[in-house]
Amino acid sequence: MRETPDTPHPSASVTQKTAAAPPSDRPRASRPGRVRQVNGVTTRTDAEPGERLLDVLRERLATTGPKRGCGRGECGACTVLLAGEPVLSCLVPWSRATEVETIEGLVEESGKLRAAFADAGAFQCGFCTPGQLVRAVALLRRSDQLTDDEIRQAMGGNICRCTGYAGIVRAIRRVLDERAAR
Amino acid sequence: MNVGARVRNIDWESTTTGRARFVDDRTLPGTLQAGVLRSPHAHARIVSVDLTAARAVAGVAVCLTADDLPDTRYPHMGPRFADRSVLARDVVRFAGEPVVLVAAETGEQVHEALRRIEIRYKILRSATTMAEALAPRAPRIHHRELGRNIAARFRRTFGAMDTAGAEDLIRVAGRYRFGRQTHACMEPSATLARWHDRERRLELWTTTQSPYFVRDEVAHVLGLDLDQVVIRESAVGGGFGARSKVCEHEALAGALSMAAGRPVRLVLGRDEEFATTKCRHDFEIDLATTATPEGDLINHEAVMRVDNGAYNHSGPSVVDAAIADIASLYPSRGVTADAILVDTNKHPGGQFRGYGGLQATFALESQIDELATELAIDPLDLRLRNCHRSGDTTLAGWRLTTAQLAECLDAVRTRWGWDDKRRKGGTGRGVGLAVAVHQTGIRSYPDANRAEADVIVGADGGVTVRFGSADPGTGQRTVIAQFAADELGVPLDRVAVEMMDSERTPFDLGSWSSRGTFMAGHAVTEAAREAAARLRAAAAEKFGVAPEEIDLADGEAAHGADRVGIGELAALSGEIAARSNFVVGTDMVNRETGIANLSPSYSFAAQAVEVEVDRATGQVTVLDVFSAHDSGRVINPVNAESQVTGGVVMGLGAALGEELIYEHGRLVNASYLNYGLPRSPDAPEVEVVFVGEGDAMGPAGAKSLGEIPMMGIPAAVANAVEHAVGVRITELPVTPDKVLAALRARQGAAPRRHHVWRRPERWWVALVRTAYPLGLHWLLHRVGTRFSRRNPGAIRPPAMIEPATVEEAAGELARDPDAAVLGGGTDLLPARDQGVAGTSAFIDIRSLTGLGRVARSSDGGVSIGACATLSGLASAPAARAFPVLRQTIETIATAPIREMATVAGNLAQEKRCWFYRSGFDCYKRGGASCPCYAVEGDSRFYHAVVDAHRCQAVTPSDLATTLAALDSTIEIAGASGARRKVSIAGLYSGPGELALAPGELITGVEVPGASARRVSRFDKVQLWHGDFAVAAVCASLLFENGEPGGRVLNARVVLGSLAPVPWRAYGVEKALVGEVLTAERIERAAEAWTAEAHPLRRNAWKVDAGVGVVIRCLTSLAARNS
Repeated sequence: MRETPDTPHPSASVTQKTAAAPPSDRPRASRPGRVRQVNGVTTRTDAEPGERLLDVLRERLATTGPKRGCGRGECGACTVLLAGEPVLSCLVPWSRATEVETIEGLVEESGKLRAAFADAGAFQCGFCTPGQLVRAVALLRRSDQLTDDEIRQAMGGNICRCTGYAGIVRAIRRVLDERAAR
Repeated sequence: MNVGARVRNIDWESTTTGRARFVDDRTLPGTLQAGVLRSPHAHARIVSVDLTAARAVAGVAVCLTADDLPDTRYPHMGPRFADRSVLARDVVRFAGEPVVLVAAETGEQVHEALRRIEIRYKILRSATTMAEALAPRAPRIHHRELGRNIAARFRRTFGAMDTAGAEDLIRVAGRYRFGRQTHACMEPSATLARWHDRERRLELWTTTQSPYFVRDEVAHVLGLDLDQVVIRESAVGGGFGARSKVCEHEALAGALSMAAGRPVRLVLGRDEEFATTKCRHDFEIDLATTATPEGDLINHEAVMRVDNGAYNHSGPSVVDAAIADIASLYPSRGVTADAILVDTNKHPGGQFRGYGGLQATFALESQIDELATELAIDPLDLRLRNCHRSGDTTLAGWRLTTAQLAECLDAVRTRWGWDDKRRKGGTGRGVGLAVAVHQTGIRSYPDANRAEADVIVGADGGVTVRFGSADPGTGQRTVIAQFAADELGVPLDRVAVEMMDSERTPFDLGSWSSRGTFMAGHAVTEAAREAAARLRAAAAEKFGVAPEEIDLADGEAAHGADRVGIGELAALSGEIAARSNFVVGTDMVNRETGIANLSPSYSFAAQAVEVEVDRATGQVTVLDVFSAHDSGRVINPVNAESQVTGGVVMGLGAALGEELIYEHGRLVNASYLNYGLPRSPDAPEVEVVFVGEGDAMGPAGAKSLGEIPMMGIPAAVANAVEHAVGVRITELPVTPDKVLAALRARQGAAPRRHHVWRRPERWWVALVRTAYPLGLHWLLHRVGTRFSRRNPGAIRPPAMIEPATVEEAAGELARDPDAAVLGGGTDLLPARDQGVAGTSAFIDIRSLTGLGRVARSSDGGVSIGACATLSGLASAPAARAFPVLRQTIETIATAPIREMATVAGNLAQEKRCWFYRSGFDCYKRGGASCPCYAVEGDSRFYHAVVDAHRCQAVTPSDLATTLAALDSTIEIAGASGARRKVSIAGLYSGPGELALAPGELITGVEVPGASARRVSRFDKVQLWHGDFAVAAVCASLLFENGEPGGRVLNARVVLGSLAPVPWRAYGVEKALVGEVLTAERIERAAEAWTAEAHPLRRNAWKVDAGVGVVIRCLTSLAARNS
């Protein structure tokens, strides 16, 4: 009874699925040769092409940084980068997955941002935080100059129920300001 | 020192790297997935349950009904109020009540099994509102001693109600209503349960604020001893009170694991989270306040009706707390209260930040402003005159060791500039304030005034603190480390905090009633102090000096130059460990009189908001918030400020948008999309000020902070709206419909008449609508829906098809009528789950050549591919000739959706009617025998006011509104390779329904260059940033000389979300052509479409909103160059 479930066991929760394959004369998804990488690691699973990226990440690949907050693209907790662009992974079929980056793969790049989150009180419960950070990383890759209003708009799809958002905006602001000062 | 310093959360690295493990992130070998079959009916008798087919589904391990479980009730407030069993027995009392549990190998098998359970219900008459439950012939929901559907009644008198000797008293009275708000924690409720058959023990990892409460209640309902249930530590994603007592899923998962003999994971879906977890109680308060002409408060009389929902849970205690709040906020002479707790067939209320006090404060603080108006006294001065001071005892017996409310008010005046801002009122801008009081932990349960803590100094010099509470985002874990670090003289990062483990972490009742910092601070300090004493003793012995000469700092014990690491001392002593047992001498809650000093200290706050109210549409925008707090000494300013800002924004949600909406007792808006909680662009700046000095009750002078930041906000907003535009809204939330209706009533505007009798084409619709409340709705709902073609949504993932050409895509579409074209997926994927897009296969067209284009066309227009994303179109240089496209897109949904969603997908998205989307067997889902639920239900925001027939839904695409105004054409490809073009008017056959033949798909949009000569603008009314339009308009005008100063030569005015399809307002256009846009002309033209309106009973205000948004749009269009 001392065994604690701190490490997910992907094999245990793998959904046993038999693919409802389209008729063989139809153009299929996941043509052979498509490379899928998650955080830089080439990935093989027997996931069906119509499964959702979020489910594949969490249940088959034990990548639990992206969270399932709603499963309908309404909360932003499952945000990941797909080919460098932020997406809601609960709305992406696995067939579209190419290069995927989750918070686990962005730890280094987000170092200053993460520290700024901690200093600004940008999280409390922490459940939305991986999604907020991934979204913010994408924003910081795209832009050097943003007003607070633009930050709020860009982060408008990532719900936080704890902080009232002020800390999140301040943290992103701080990273931008530090960058500008250099 | 760490206490009082700006320190980071000690778990910040695991939180920000994704390493923190929440319940759904954990898996044990052999874990089964679980699901719950819930009652679809608000009130019904369970006639029979047949599990044969469900059990036959491959992979199903167990199915359980109430008969498989002990016949027990959740204890909650004690046996007198215990009325709920784990699964419904014989009778279901709310829609969503658990009836059958299933565990299977995979989630798909669980869903399959749930669908195969056969249950026969006998539907009973239901009472889904307080009015229905209190009606003379209301159905009896429980057998209650106090009267039909009266779960509890409190009649209280505090102080003296006698007003003899007082002259010329002023009395104000009103009714205030606070609707149902839900916590909407970001982490869905979840339990991972593991039954150990040999040891007969149940381990639970669960989303809770109170492990010991969960342990006790789960043990009771499952017939186990306390030591047979063990709660384990997990990250917890939010609480706000929702998880401060048992939450049902723990026992559900536990029962399944016991039956299956394997670990079981139960995670609620977001819709279950909204529709079945215990929400804030709906209060209707009749309140009267009497005062002297000088402004001294004399007394308050309150009559309260509180919607309990179907079971008691904490209802009685919430009512009690509300009464105590009215008897404690001000030093009045007397208070009477008569409150009833009313059973209804809705999911039950529970604990929620503010806990009755929030609802009471809304009523009382709204009324204090009304009194201020009556007395012609500044609202801040009136409150200042009636402030409790340190040393006071309130009518409810609260002894205020410190009360610095006057200082809070002074901060609002001097630091925020109240007087200046107040002078500007009545111009559409206004300011309002409200004050609040809250306890620091309530002794409402045995041992709620007691906490234990363990402090262990390890041989490595590290300190471990064990505390039995949970930190769902309160910052308690960090507070614990701060206190321990300071007592033991170790750096913060040498302190590890273990929590939540009912076997290893000692007793504490959890993080609720704003008790966390107080209880943990004291208990941990005591234990750490004892551990420090032992370290000093050991060091003193080593150095041969007296213990009091030893300093503990930097992880060492020192006497002058003699130093020894505390780890070494711990190793020398074998182990240094101390346990505290902190008890605070407060009174137990007195359920008879309501008078008790139930908390060690009390916090105060004064909160002020500045709003802007748009008179045209009734929209309220919060510009600025100032929140001044007396919470004693602040232990961690980083977390304290975050806590206040978060509480304020949650209060703004309650004030302006959050409301659970029901139809036949079923929740209609069980999604973030339809629940107006603030998103980042909705949240204003919040200035947080702490004025309090230390309170002697401690620890370190701290008082409570968790709940009070939201308590004044709803009344402050209502007061500010009144100040801005002179209308008082007494029913939350303050949505545009209420504001606009009140503004029109104040102006003495007559209700609009739509003269349907003159319009034969509307007679049939009018007749049917008239028949709905007379029995037609009942007939269609009860009988017609039996013939519904139900589609509960897909379980299996769709097949994915990737055609190489548009023709191939069209061919696939023609071959399989159940396939759907996949663009961005932002609507199709959820719609498939909701059963409104029954798709076997997705035809992924996104990578087809040319479909992503945004290109200038030869006539100066723009050619847009079907798969261009909304944000791509908004930023495309080729679309610069049409700035209105960008302007429209910026109001659509949220940034991530705009980046993923495609132009064609936006046009093709399904209607968003919340009855249709949330599974009601409506006309469009179920077929002709089914009713349209919007006719009698809540149609205030998202249903048509023009042209609707059997279905009242609207086309949700704002882009369609704008594209129609730009005379755009839609390119359509067919299976045979044929291409055709249609206008927007030709694209739609109904609300969100496309007039496409089988095998046809949208391939692009052409906006003609001629439209670029017109000046265009889009505007919409929405409830939150990113919401679908409540009313929208795109106006596109050609001016003489090309600029808005000249006469209008040509006009397109298209209304969105007001009719089933984008609706050309020819009347408005006609009224504009040949005219110069003056304010008067605009106002007259904006009315020109309303003769054709035919609103529903509850959405008539949308006609006004539609007029308002047209005025606003045309006005800013006219102002562009004048």
